Amino acid sequence: MNHEASVLDRSKDESKNESRLDESSREESALQRSSREQSARLEIRPAAGKRRGILANSHDQHCVIFHLICLAAYAGAFWLYLHPGAAGISGPWSRAAFVMAAALLLGWISGIDIGVNFHNHSHRRIFTSHFLNQWFGRFWTVSAGWPSFFWEYAHVTVHHANLLHENDWTLPRHNLNGEFEDFRVYALVAWPWRYMVHLWNDLIANPGRRRKALREFAIFLPLWSIPFWIDPVMALWLWALPHWVANCLVMAPGMYVQHSGCVRKSPARPVSHSTVFLAKFFNYTMFNIGYHLEHHDHPRVHWSELPALHERLKMELIDGGAHVVPYGFYFASILLAGPPERRSRFAEQDVRYKPAPHSTTNVA
Amino acid sequence: MHAANRLVSHTAVIFGRSFCPLFAITIIAGTMLWGPWATLAITILTICAALRYL
Repeated sequence: MNHEASVLDRSKDESKNESRLDESSREESALQRSSREQSARLEIRPAAGKRRGILANSHDQHCVIFHLICLAAYAGAFWLYLHPGAAGISGPWSRAAFVMAAALLLGWISGIDIGVNFHNHSHRRIFTSHFLNQWFGRFWTVSAGWPSFFWEYAHVTVHHANLLHENDWTLPRHNLNGEFEDFRVYALVAWPWRYMVHLWNDLIANPGRRRKALREFAIFLPLWSIPFWIDPVMALWLWALPHWVANCLVMAPGMYVQHSGCVRKSPARPVSHSTVFLAKFFNYTMFNIGYHLEHHDHPRVHWSELPALHERLKMELIDGGAHVVPYGFYFASILLAGPPERRSRFAEQDVRYKPAPHSTTNVA
Repeated sequence: MHAANRLVSHTAVIFGRSFCPLFAITIIAGTMLWGPWATLAITILTICAALRYL
């Protein structure tokens, strides 16, 4: 019952957001309806079977295992920092080498753990128990410097409900040419600076949401501060720094490449709001986040079902001119962070997804 | 035999899906074997490889 209430709560948030949209975005609502109709036509049932005990879907065991290994990696790094002799750390330079390596590795996996793994949970809860969903979620996002409610609000209520609309402040701003701002500027200023301002305005300064936001922040803060109680310097290097890496060097580039060069969904361009990334190893180890267009159109479809959904929609994607690339986010980041000639390579289409040339033969 | 195959396959999927954090924890824990400089070198090589091939 509580779970249903929370789903309704989020739906209400999304509806409120939709009501703020102008005439043009009503068109988008029609598109969302058509997307739901498409889901029905394709027989996409979000809550399909495979329930296993406390997990809503048996594949979600990978989400839990992934997160627990991330926490173990943090614990291991902390232990080695506090026992330098065991790690061969003999002075400030070798300590710096260890800290840099560990911060990059921890930030990398935290970025995936929240930006992809928790992201899936924010769309489809992984447990059957509301209590577990809520509390596992609260502990989950701490390891990337986020209160879970804040992250979910930014992603579901702002990003998904207003994709590429002016209200979607999670995405890069547009420059005078209508393109995304510079990759590096977005990566460096989005988190925490822009997020902080918008979250303050939307949550703390909003009387309707302030109470819940403050309660969630009050739960987050003591959890996030635990490493500082153990050793403040260690926490700075192996807790706060990895969170910066996770948000600025992993999640922000991910957001940028997913929607760079894309346009708002419209009847004329229904599949041009996101890019599809097809690298197999990338998708296998990243919970199929590369199937991003499919995810935005059908956010309630389980991450494990996205490749099959992609196959079913393949012809529609080709006919609609969807942007499909054969690599993952990492290589796309290198392309988009580069000079104009390298950036233009990102627009190249995967050869398997180029529309067939129009036939010139007339059929009598 | 069938059960053993299923177990191996199931374990392989778990390792595959959690490849990134398993790799990270291995490199961090491996510092005890090869020291912090080798850990840094492996990390930088890994990042370069990911940016090039993924």
